[in-house]
Amino acid sequence: MSDSKQQNAGLDSRLLKRIVSYLMPYKGWVALAFVTVMTAAYLGPLIPKLVQVTIDREIVGGDMEGLQRMIGILFAVLAAEGLLSFVNAYLTQWIGQQAIFDLRTKVYRHVQRQSLRFFDTRPIGQLITRVTSDVESLSQVLSAGVVTILGDLFKLIFIAWFMFSLNWELALVTISVMPIMIYATFWFKRKVRDAYRDTRKQVARLNSFLQEHVTGMRIVQLFGREEEEMKRFDGINDDHRQAHIKTIFYFALFWPMVDIVASAALGLVIWYGGISAMVGGVTVGVLIAFIQYARRFFEPIRNLSDQFNTLQSAMAGAERIFGLLDTDMAIPEAEKTEEWKQVQGRIEFRNVWFSYNPETDPEDLDAEWILRDVSFEVNPGESLAIVGATGAGKTTIINLLLRFYEIQNGAILVDGIDITTLPISTLREHIGLVLQDVFLFSGTVKDNVTLRNPDIEDQAIREAADAINAAPFIERLPEGYGQDVRERGMTLSHGQRQLISFLRALVYDPRILVLDEATSSVDTETEEVIQKALETLMAGRTSIAIAHRLSTVQHATQILVMHRGQVRERGSHQELIASDGLYRRLYELQYAEQEAA
Amino acid sequence: MHSLWRLNAYYWRYKHLFIPGLICAVASAVFSIIVPMVVRQAIDSIPRFVTTYRAFEGTPVESYVYADAFVSLMIFGAIILALSLGSGLFSFLMRQTIVVASRHIEFDLRNRLYDQLQDLSHDFYLQHATGDLITRSTSDIEHVRRYIGPAIMYTTRAIVVIITAVSVMFWISPTLTWFTLIPMPFLAISVFFVARMVHTRSDELQKQYSSLTSRVQEALSGIRVLKAYAREENEAEAFDEESSQYRHRSLRLAMVEAAWRPVFVTLVGASTLIVVWVGGSLVMTGEITIGNIAEYIIYVALMTWPVAAMGFVITMIQRAAASMTRLNEIFDAVPSIQSATDHMLLEAGLSHEIEGRITFKGVGFTHPNSGVRALDAVDVDVPSGSTLAIVGRTGSGKTTMVEMIPRLLDVEDGSLEIDGKDIREWPLETVRGSIGYVPQDVFLFSDTVANNISFGRMEAEIEDVRQAASEADLLANVDDFKEGFETFVGERGITLSGGQKQRASIARALIRQPSILILDDALSAVDVNTERTILGHLREHFGKRTIVIVSHRISAVQDADQIIVLEEGRIIERGSHEELVDLGGFYASLHHKQQLEQEVEDFV
Repeated sequence: MSDSKQQNAGLDSRLLKRIVSYLMPYKGWVALAFVTVMTAAYLGPLIPKLVQVTIDREIVGGDMEGLQRMIGILFAVLAAEGLLSFVNAYLTQWIGQQAIFDLRTKVYRHVQRQSLRFFDTRPIGQLITRVTSDVESLSQVLSAGVVTILGDLFKLIFIAWFMFSLNWELALVTISVMPIMIYATFWFKRKVRDAYRDTRKQVARLNSFLQEHVTGMRIVQLFGREEEEMKRFDGINDDHRQAHIKTIFYFALFWPMVDIVASAALGLVIWYGGISAMVGGVTVGVLIAFIQYARRFFEPIRNLSDQFNTLQSAMAGAERIFGLLDTDMAIPEAEKTEEWKQVQGRIEFRNVWFSYNPETDPEDLDAEWILRDVSFEVNPGESLAIVGATGAGKTTIINLLLRFYEIQNGAILVDGIDITTLPISTLREHIGLVLQDVFLFSGTVKDNVTLRNPDIEDQAIREAADAINAAPFIERLPEGYGQDVRERGMTLSHGQRQLISFLRALVYDPRILVLDEATSSVDTETEEVIQKALETLMAGRTSIAIAHRLSTVQHATQILVMHRGQVRERGSHQELIASDGLYRRLYELQYAEQEAA
Repeated sequence: MHSLWRLNAYYWRYKHLFIPGLICAVASAVFSIIVPMVVRQAIDSIPRFVTTYRAFEGTPVESYVYADAFVSLMIFGAIILALSLGSGLFSFLMRQTIVVASRHIEFDLRNRLYDQLQDLSHDFYLQHATGDLITRSTSDIEHVRRYIGPAIMYTTRAIVVIITAVSVMFWISPTLTWFTLIPMPFLAISVFFVARMVHTRSDELQKQYSSLTSRVQEALSGIRVLKAYAREENEAEAFDEESSQYRHRSLRLAMVEAAWRPVFVTLVGASTLIVVWVGGSLVMTGEITIGNIAEYIIYVALMTWPVAAMGFVITMIQRAAASMTRLNEIFDAVPSIQSATDHMLLEAGLSHEIEGRITFKGVGFTHPNSGVRALDAVDVDVPSGSTLAIVGRTGSGKTTMVEMIPRLLDVEDGSLEIDGKDIREWPLETVRGSIGYVPQDVFLFSDTVANNISFGRMEAEIEDVRQAASEADLLANVDDFKEGFETFVGERGITLSGGQKQRASIARALIRQPSILILDDALSAVDVNTERTILGHLREHFGKRTIVIVSHRISAVQDADQIIVLEEGRIIERGSHEELVDLGGFYASLHHKQQLEQEVEDFV
């Protein structure tokens, strides 16, 4: 028990160190923040002290000039305190935001460089949370955190110091209510934290009920469940209300409590201070100073207990973020990379075995292999069409060629070079990928074509658009190439999105083209445009296509028929039709209709 | 501001809380305002004690004087404590009534909102995004609540404190009061502006946060494209840009927030210094006492919060008014599909039972959003107990057609009759009560499997649930779950496969033993064998139940009494399976294709 506790504490301090390490680049600014926070912490409590001096010396002494001089000094101190606490508050936020920026971009880059295997096993929502709200939860610690805690501590010390220097007996009497205050504050924080946990739970329950029922409202209505669901909502809404009313109780108790304790301190000052004044030693000015100190004393205590809580909640976020940063599933770059000098576009798969489980033993024949001993060659400028039923392993071939995944056995070569020895970016630069479900980003048509690569000239885009006959539709858009396609290109038709993805491949001008053709039928007019565009796109390039169009298979130099991860048949269209195997059936299923049309 | 008037009824409803609450607010303020007067009395009494004490110093009376001072000062201290106990008690009661009442009103508002949401028809949901409706029922209501509770509480307290304190101060010394009050308007104004700037800037920050989030969302969803085109570096830079925008906005907000406390402290401090300055001069001329200075210092401290609160309250009211306007939009919406009243039905002399005959007479429909003609002159008569199958491409109008039967949509042209009576003359409850509907997009609630199935019939026993599950071929699966029918579906529990969800959705419809069963492409996620089993179970009820089935699979529709093929909202083919195969049209080619598919599937 105590063992695990100790371990936890150890872990926490390690975590905290790691969090604080993000402040290191700004240590000069952090030092400045310390200086400002200390100075402000000193200047604040200095004011009651100066007021005391003014009352006792100038006012009681009737020195009008002195009074004005003192007031001048007081205003200067007040202004300086205000200015310094502003500078400090902004500076700590500034430091925090710099560190948050560094951390956020680091987490994002880390996520982005992971292999697809990483993305296959993690919901995107979870990754987004890491980059956004988990990082955000550290912002309080990184900005205000340490500096503010020290600032409040020193404020307490300075106030105590001024009080003791004025009159130590009266100081002790005033501070005697402190334990009650500290106890009340921590009691309140604990109660409120528990109560807030409950309210958050109820808010979440309420939100998910609403979310679910607004989304599924038609089901509620269809099944005539309005009355029953209203009753359930009433119950949840009531729990929500009760949870809040409970927190109201604690707040209703806490605020008057603070007031009462402060008044108790005030009462003690009046009583004890008054008597001391009578016997001598305490002046009216000192009394007035103590009245003010008694009020000022409690604010830093409340702040400190707040900081304590944010620190705790930040730990949870930090743990998740660092957990993510410590997992690396990125595909490693080869230590010594080859150069791919003369890009011809020859592709070879040599006895490739692949399973989505990276641990799969290459010798284990019964394992869940997605590809089993797949071999083929495509010469520069030639085209390969891959056909097969769903789940035959067609898409996997594409993914492996682009090195989205690592194979377990065999080799994949381009122009005779093993792809694992090439820098990943070099490999992908020369391969153009066109996917069947076209993914468009929000942004303009041009952004989607160039993927925001500034090296691609507008002229090149226009020429490419003319070449594949995409220009007419783009120019018809109200904003032309500058048209915003909105999220996922929802303002465009399927065929139009397809053309944009062709255009994207064309402007990047790769030697090798990898194509996953769309299955869904588009209207005949667009179909014709797409057909021609495809021909333009494939001309003069090595291409691998998961074929759904008759013309693609007919024109392919070589057809590969995949079935359950294996190459079942290969050859040209004529040869395969003649052999009356799987291809013939697939052909009739998928393409016969197109021939008729 | 007009939008907030509607809340008056709620104030009235909770008057038993508001009236005592406001009285408590006043009482609490009065108690706290007396404290400084006692302090002044105490401080001013000290010089008197000192003089008396000095006079009797060294005499036997000295100890009596000391004791007198001791007791008097203790009484002052005790009065201060007692006053703040009184103020504290009333402020406790004030929060326990007014803030609690605001939670009650929030509860009522939200219940009413949800009730209204349940009444609104399908078209309303097409026009309003889910997220937007959720925001209205959560944060908009919260804004209104803050106006109802805290805003009113602060205002009352502030008015009492400010008026009392200022009157007492004027009574003591008008000159000093004028000077002391100089910073107060600045305080209220600066709080108002700061609060407004904080709101707009945090809204901006929130917007940038969403933009950052959707950037990540998009990049990670399109990660294959980014990687394939080696654009990761570029995207990372774009993300840096978003992050730096976020940092910029955060700092803009931080600037205002950093200014807020110093401005507050400086203005309050300035008031105190003015008291010392002007008050000090007045003490010298003998117009006031030093005790008055202490009193004023406490008044300033007491007044600062109420004055600052006035600045907050104004922004609270502005926000609440905007939120209430949005809420009223929902409260005032009228459901487009209205139920016929029972009265009309009784007059027509009809029984409450629906037998299940469905007749489409020249039905046409145009989608209000896209303006697409979804259905055009559709004529079909489905005698009760028979089966109608609908096939056709995506977007041909199949779903629109079946959605009209439970009146999710109302016909535009022509008419739809149930048992020979226009559907609009039936009570909505009766129509929907006799229909088992299995929608295309499966929607299950995050609840147990049993509750999801019995959603179709609340009073169902577990035997009925098992029976329905068995008819939907789900029983074996459920029995395999560790928790059986008590297994949680969705986020908190097990994730059902697409097919299992679909079958649960079918079971939910079947448990109602409806006279009309509608399956809108409801077997798409199950394999052919399961489909066969489920259809076999349905067939047991043939003749007793009208079935409308939409499907892409020939195997699911071939046994129907009549099959129609829809194309762009029109019926292009109709007849039995054999008739349509012989016709050699769309249906026949679909049939041929699916036979071939089966062959490939079986190819070893």
